[in-house]
Amino acid sequence: MIGLALDLLIIVSLIGLAIQSINAASLFRGILHFVVLGLAMSLAWARLDAPDLAMAEAAIGAGVTGALMMIAYRRLIEIQPDQESSLRPPPSRLAVPIALAAGALVGVIGLAAIQAEPMPALAGTAVLENLGSTGLGNPITGVLLLFRGFDTLLEITVLLAALLSAQAVTRQVDLDQSLTTQDPDTPLVGALLAIVVPLTVLVSVHLLKAGGQETGGAFQAGAVLAACGVLLVLTGRLGASRQYSPLVNTGLLVGLLSFILIGLAPLLWGQPLLALPGLWAIYWIESAMMISIALTLVLLFAGAGSLKRRDHG
Amino acid sequence: MTIADSIALILLLAGCAFYLAGTIGLLRFPDVYCRLHALAKADNTGLCLICVGLAILSADWQVAAILALVWLVGLLAATVSAHLIARHAHSAGRVPARSGPSRR
Repeated sequence: MIGLALDLLIIVSLIGLAIQSINAASLFRGILHFVVLGLAMSLAWARLDAPDLAMAEAAIGAGVTGALMMIAYRRLIEIQPDQESSLRPPPSRLAVPIALAAGALVGVIGLAAIQAEPMPALAGTAVLENLGSTGLGNPITGVLLLFRGFDTLLEITVLLAALLSAQAVTRQVDLDQSLTTQDPDTPLVGALLAIVVPLTVLVSVHLLKAGGQETGGAFQAGAVLAACGVLLVLTGRLGASRQYSPLVNTGLLVGLLSFILIGLAPLLWGQPLLALPGLWAIYWIESAMMISIALTLVLLFAGAGSLKRRDHG
Repeated sequence: MTIADSIALILLLAGCAFYLAGTIGLLRFPDVYCRLHALAKADNTGLCLICVGLAILSADWQVAAILALVWLVGLLAATVSAHLIARHAHSAGRVPARSGPSRR
């Protein structure tokens, strides 16, 4: 009974927040509603017994994406200050028919899915049957790296491609503007960082290690580590830089390169592509991907090709 | 329902009441300083009560320790972010609102 009430509450707030985030009076309100939508969505995943997705949605969907949208908004009102106060232009006349048609489509598919005879999920049972031989306890990690490793390889590539395209359109002038308006020596900030940064690193390494057996994995760990990096950029400890440092470039590429090299290696001894040679390979690729994911997200936030340390007295 | 359960229930309800008060304050108070005051005080008390209630319900020292950590990190984040927002508002020249006749 309470469960049903909670589910209905989540559904109603999801729909309301979705409407608000595309229909808000100003762009800024839309962004805020979108962030809250991400939080409600992660609650929905948690209610559906998908803790991995709930965690990824909270860290990436609500956290990092929200930070990226905020920074994009700030850059936008620097370029076009009238965007801050201007109201949205009235939506096109096609908007309502398209929305109704899309809603009807979702409704029809949903009804058909409910009425259809539940098929035995072949892929899922196959994964669970074969999981024992891999040494992994978490079927999600098994699917991501062993059974559908090619998809994950492409995802990592897409992330790198996104960073490269963002760099291609970032203007030189934007890089010179500092992201921080706060005085870096603001009281309390140093104390906060001294506690939060080690805790975040601890949590992300725990998520990475836990990913093999229970909830966690490279994407969640990378997003938590990226949040730490965003905090360091916002408080002026890390700054955008145009000088490419070998360390940053290695960190960006290490995930993709390890996955490709370890995935190609089995071809040498006649095994199929991406037949990972053991648990060590999975943990190695996961750790490398965590570093690359975190660095890519922080660089997207900083809008820069590289980072440099900033010293404060 | 055992005594521990009833205590936990009372704590959870009290926590929700504090959250409700903090939210009403956020929506109704006149300026940014009062709203921060409502949020930082009431929500952290609410979080504390809910964490204690959940710890009693779980009856597990490990869970209780994690919940205590959750509360401490929440306190830290709320304190520093409220301080930064107030500082920014102050340096941007926001004057605290006064209601009614000003005191002489």
